[in-house]
Amino acid sequence: MTQIPTLQTDRLVLRAPKPSDYPAYHALMAAPAAEMMGGPYDAETSWMAFGAEVGTWALLGFGSWTLCRSGSDAFIGMVGIDKPPHFPETELGWMLAPAARGQGYATEAAHQARRFAYETLGLATLVSYVDARNAASIAVAERLNATRDADAARPDPEDIVFRHPPPEALQ
Amino acid sequence: MIPTLETERLILRAPSQSDFDAEAEFYASARSGFVGGPLERDQAWRVFATMIGHWSLRGFGHFAVEERDTGLYCGLVGPWFPEGWPEPEIGWSIHARAEGRGIAREAAARARRYVYEELGWTTAISLIDPQNLRSIALAERLGAVYESDYQHVRYGLMGIYRHPSPDSLAAQGAA
Repeated sequence: MTQIPTLQTDRLVLRAPKPSDYPAYHALMAAPAAEMMGGPYDAETSWMAFGAEVGTWALLGFGSWTLCRSGSDAFIGMVGIDKPPHFPETELGWMLAPAARGQGYATEAAHQARRFAYETLGLATLVSYVDARNAASIAVAERLNATRDADAARPDPEDIVFRHPPPEALQ
Repeated sequence: MIPTLETERLILRAPSQSDFDAEAEFYASARSGFVGGPLERDQAWRVFATMIGHWSLRGFGHFAVEERDTGLYCGLVGPWFPEGWPEPEIGWSIHARAEGRGIAREAAARARRYVYEELGWTTAISLIDPQNLRSIALAERLGAVYESDYQHVRYGLMGIYRHPSPDSLAAQGAA
């Protein structure tokens, strides 16, 4: 099974998801706002989805991390790299619990995950699929200097495709 | 982290990406109707990823079943305890291509031995759709007995089949 690496940023730790994260994950995915992330989920569905976040690592060699503030082990969100069969390209995604929003954490975590995708996995490009109603997530994509790619294929016609700068543009 | 188990004809090993096409085919077929299907390929992917993630979340999970001599991928079997289950179960979803040769029984019996001997379970159930006669027949061949009904929020009515305890299997000399 792929070992999930731990990454750090100035303020955050990106670590392997673990069972004790599930209640906080469920709270996030059961909320009405989870509509913009494929939810809201009932307990059975969110447990399966959380399991899939973990299992993806073994299938693809990459997946999602749990985000914690440095010095804390409490789940505040997730960031991840994903390529299920119905995604035309590999995606960089993020989600934050409401209490952790508005502090730049998603941008900081996604920045680090993108670096991992480029430098460690050797990916040449990344997209983010963002629900057109998700203003906060659109702002994160823009802060990451991702730009709208109107021509790119997308899993859901309602999604906006943001394309991230390629590795060489971030040197 | 996921162990490999063996039987006379089978290898039970960690599921891998190369098994997914067969799983997607299974979940696209009517045969998957008793285990949450039929599912589109992207949904089947999520389920398959969950099967693997379950190992991290619970410390146990489903094994991929492979026929030793031919390398044929036969499906999944193993302990399973997602949210919403009444208690941990031994589950199986063996594909049509492996049917009629006792493969499901051989795999499930090995998984049961694993949960009793390696995980220390003192009891085990299998949760089965009442219309899944093939699966009920397998549970009964394994010595499991219908105990009661369970109403699952999504899958509806399921029968709880209780397996013989470790002690009674040992007494029979056939775990």
